[in-house]
Amino acid sequence: MAEPAISSFDVLVIGGGAAGVAAAAELASAGLSVALAEQRPTLGGAYHRQPVGGSARQLRGQRQWLRLLRGLAGAGVEQRLGHVFIGLESDGIAMLDDRAARRIRSIKARALVIAVGAIERVLPRPGWQLDGVMTSGGLQMLLKETGGVPPGDLLIAGSGPLNVAVAADLIRLGRPPVAVIENGNPFARPGAALRLAAHPGLVAEAARHLARLASARVPWLRGSALAAIERRDGRLRATVRMPGGGSRMFAADIVALHDGIRPNAFGLPAETQAQPIVVRAGDCREALGIRAAVADGRHAARQVAAMLAGTVRDGSADRKIGRQRRAQAILHELFRPVDGYGLAALPDDTILCRCEGRTVGDLRLMLAETDAPGLREIKLNGRFGMGLCQGRFCADAVRDMVAAARPAVDGGASGPLSRDRWPLRPASIAALAADDELQEGK
Amino acid sequence: MGASIGGKTVVVVGAGIVGAATAYFLSRSGFAVRLLDANAPASAASGAADGAVSVASKRPGPMMTAALAGIALYRRLERDGPLGGLFHERPTIMVAEDEHEAETLRGHAEALAGAGKQLRHFEGTALPSYLPSVSAHVRLAVEVGEEGHAIGYEVVRRLIAASGVAVERTTPVLELVKSSSARSIAAVATPRGPIEADHFVIAAGGGSAELLGLSGTVRPRKGQLVVTERAPALNASLPGSLMSCRYLLSKDAILAAGGAAGRRFGLVIDPLRTGQFLIGGTREESGDTSNDLAAVRIMLASAVRLLPGIARLRALRAFAGVRSATSDGLPLVGRVPGYDNLIVATGFEGDGICLGPLMGRTVSRLIAGEDCELDLAPFAPGRFERRSLVA
Ligand SMILES: Cc1cc2nc3c(=O)[nH]c(=O)nc-3n(C[C@H](O)[C@H](O)[C@H](O)COP(=O)(O)OP(=O)(O)OC[C@H]3O[C@@H](n4cnc5c(N)ncnc54)[C@H](O)[C@@H]3O)c2cc1C
Ligand SMILES: Cc1cc2nc3c(=O)[nH]c(=O)nc-3n(C[C@H](O)[C@H](O)[C@H](O)COP(=O)(O)OP(=O)(O)OC[C@H]3O[C@@H](n4cnc5c(N)ncnc54)[C@H](O)[C@@H]3O)c2cc1C
Repeated sequence: MAEPAISSFDVLVIGGGAAGVAAAAELASAGLSVALAEQRPTLGGAYHRQPVGGSARQLRGQRQWLRLLRGLAGAGVEQRLGHVFIGLESDGIAMLDDRAARRIRSIKARALVIAVGAIERVLPRPGWQLDGVMTSGGLQMLLKETGGVPPGDLLIAGSGPLNVAVAADLIRLGRPPVAVIENGNPFARPGAALRLAAHPGLVAEAARHLARLASARVPWLRGSALAAIERRDGRLRATVRMPGGGSRMFAADIVALHDGIRPNAFGLPAETQAQPIVVRAGDCREALGIRAAVADGRHAARQVAAMLAGTVRDGSADRKIGRQRRAQAILHELFRPVDGYGLAALPDDTILCRCEGRTVGDLRLMLAETDAPGLREIKLNGRFGMGLCQGRFCADAVRDMVAAARPAVDGGASGPLSRDRWPLRPASIAALAADDELQEGK
Repeated sequence: MGASIGGKTVVVVGAGIVGAATAYFLSRSGFAVRLLDANAPASAASGAADGAVSVASKRPGPMMTAALAGIALYRRLERDGPLGGLFHERPTIMVAEDEHEAETLRGHAEALAGAGKQLRHFEGTALPSYLPSVSAHVRLAVEVGEEGHAIGYEVVRRLIAASGVAVERTTPVLELVKSSSARSIAAVATPRGPIEADHFVIAAGGGSAELLGLSGTVRPRKGQLVVTERAPALNASLPGSLMSCRYLLSKDAILAAGGAAGRRFGLVIDPLRTGQFLIGGTREESGDTSNDLAAVRIMLASAVRLLPGIARLRALRAFAGVRSATSDGLPLVGRVPGYDNLIVATGFEGDGICLGPLMGRTVSRLIAGEDCELDLAPFAPGRFERRSLVA
């Protein structure tokens, strides 16, 4: 069988968000040949998500994004849109799933900059698998892409500044949510609030969002927790545990959950200085938000350029990145759940792995056995992380529950629930089976 | 040989399917078992395999006899033993895609029938009604009855749980420590210190040969596999697992080449009970566990050719496992010459899931001094030594 065609570049940048676009432009302007692969049909990433069909207006950050795009335009970067990075072969060839053409494209690069962003953390709760429950980030993407809000009453719950931002977006679009349930209580953390003053941009953004919530009379229930969701009479009923100990019920058609973000590091090849060099950038390296992503992308680009040129660059990160790290630490402290998060309190029948329908009780049974299984054994036999999402939704909770039950169990840095294996996304068999050369008639 | 020496403590090295089964049968016979693994249960071949419990691809001879006994034991352990729900009975369907393959398959079917297997042939117009989702170019299908499937890591876990033994994980055996008489083993050396016992069983898969000083007799033979997403309708359209009879040719070619050959492909499409498909696999002279696009492409292209509907699915995972292969294609099972308390059970290549429980029972009976039913002479661990002495 003929060998499929392989394209060659100095650097392959994966992910067309702020970090990836900044890195690609920087590398290309240093004279390197660069390909930029993005799984979606447009660049933008999570923050600069573009409206679909140009119908909606962009919510925020348009000016910065246009500046980034201008940097890319002049630099001669080859854009591969609709191309999903599915992994690195052992000989260092990167594989891209070209969704439209149903082909796997092989790319040989001397270096890879991986900038695939962050994913949301969503903690398991009874009823989180029901139809009508989505993530707050998913809801925000929908708003950014369509400019419209799905019909029905919305309830937002979990923890973190994103929930407030999404609520503000909804109000702007004329559809205030029923309430925002927040596990933390930023008002009860005066120390952290004081330190936030060093970041006036964040303070101003928070003040704007909160003012919007106040004027639309959307309750922001701090120190409270969404304990369970049920479907009754065609609507979702949410039980919320209030700080005083009582509980309140909310009815809604859509419940948006979000408990923070974490790097989207599932299955990614490890960073290495041996060729092909692999460097991570932006939120997939460390979730520091949009203010750090551009700086981190450029920083990664300069590092890679230096490594390719064989010169050593002082590894110390940008001042901007350090500053955002401090800002994120403050936000983290501000939004720290008031009671801690109670995986231990979840009822046995709570779904833990949504893809495979495995419950908290299934995991507890495994953990109670005399022969204490390790993480990989738990994954294989419990089927946690074996489904379509490949662990993105349950891996953290599974690991936390295992660690709580048996502190001695090996976890490994990234944990065997997400091994460095390809395809790191489900990939079309038609594409994997197709022979590039035959199909392209080269 | 075969008589038991006294003592009720046993160290089993390796918690793959063979070690786990050995621990299970020994504990039931009243032995105190310590089960050690360099890593964790099912962390090697037993956790990265397909799970055909099958005679279909075997030639008449000791392996076919063993496989028939292996299937019978799975049935029993499923019905009234610890494997309830884990052994999925379904036929193996061997298919021929051209006339040359059909000829091979007809010959092979005769041999299987001679061994008493239940067979049904499907050709011409009978084919599409039996296998509606399979490509129309298939010439001949032979359904081999009374076969099944079991998932290695599930079997391992169930056997260990039923044995009551707590596996000693991350405990590699570094070497065997001889007793002062030098005719028996006194202990195994591990980083956690020596572990003594009356009997020792080496069921360490690819790690066995080195422990026994038999390096070179057992070679790694890698296999790559792909798992798809769920597709209940397509899955249900297959009455059993599809095995291209090219699989037979690939086995033969390796044996003909004296055990060494380039990369071979033998296609098996196994409809799993989850509604997913397991597609395999390669036979490669390598001990690594990486996947490469070229191999995955060839496997999936041949799978699509046979079962076109599979092209619409997504591949969820690719993985690779390493079989332990001997140069004559037969495993090493029995007492190690020169020692009266050392037993080895390894070298099962692509049949260890099928044979694992049976081999565990066999080893347990050897230690207990009972009749082990199976004729172990063809599997004698000393056979390679003799060969090298003659040479
Ligand atoms: C839901 C959500 C909401 C957020 N809201 C805010 C906010 O309000 N304010 C704020 O400061 N920060 C927010 N952040 C963080 C902010 O989005 C990031 O800091 C910023 O977008 C990071 O840029 P990035 O380039 O690192 O990642 P991203 O912008 O996430 O870009 C990653 C890109 O990689 C692509 N990609 C992912 N996997 C693959 C693959 N396998 N192959 C090819 N392409 C791939 C994605 O499609 C995406 O375009 C949010 C993050 C999330 C997840
Ligand atoms: C791709 C593939 C497909 C297969 N398909 C099938 C099939 O369809 N049907 C079938 O019947 N068989 C199949 N097999 C074969 C089957 O998987 C193996 O024959 C079987 O798993 C071998 O089991 P084992 O217990 O001998 O070895 P293993 O499962 O390899 O276990 C050996 C254990 O010993 C441990 N170990 C090694 N060295 C040491 C040491 N020094 N100290 C302590 N512990 C040690 C290892 O960590 C490991 O856990 C397949 C195999 C592969 C790779």
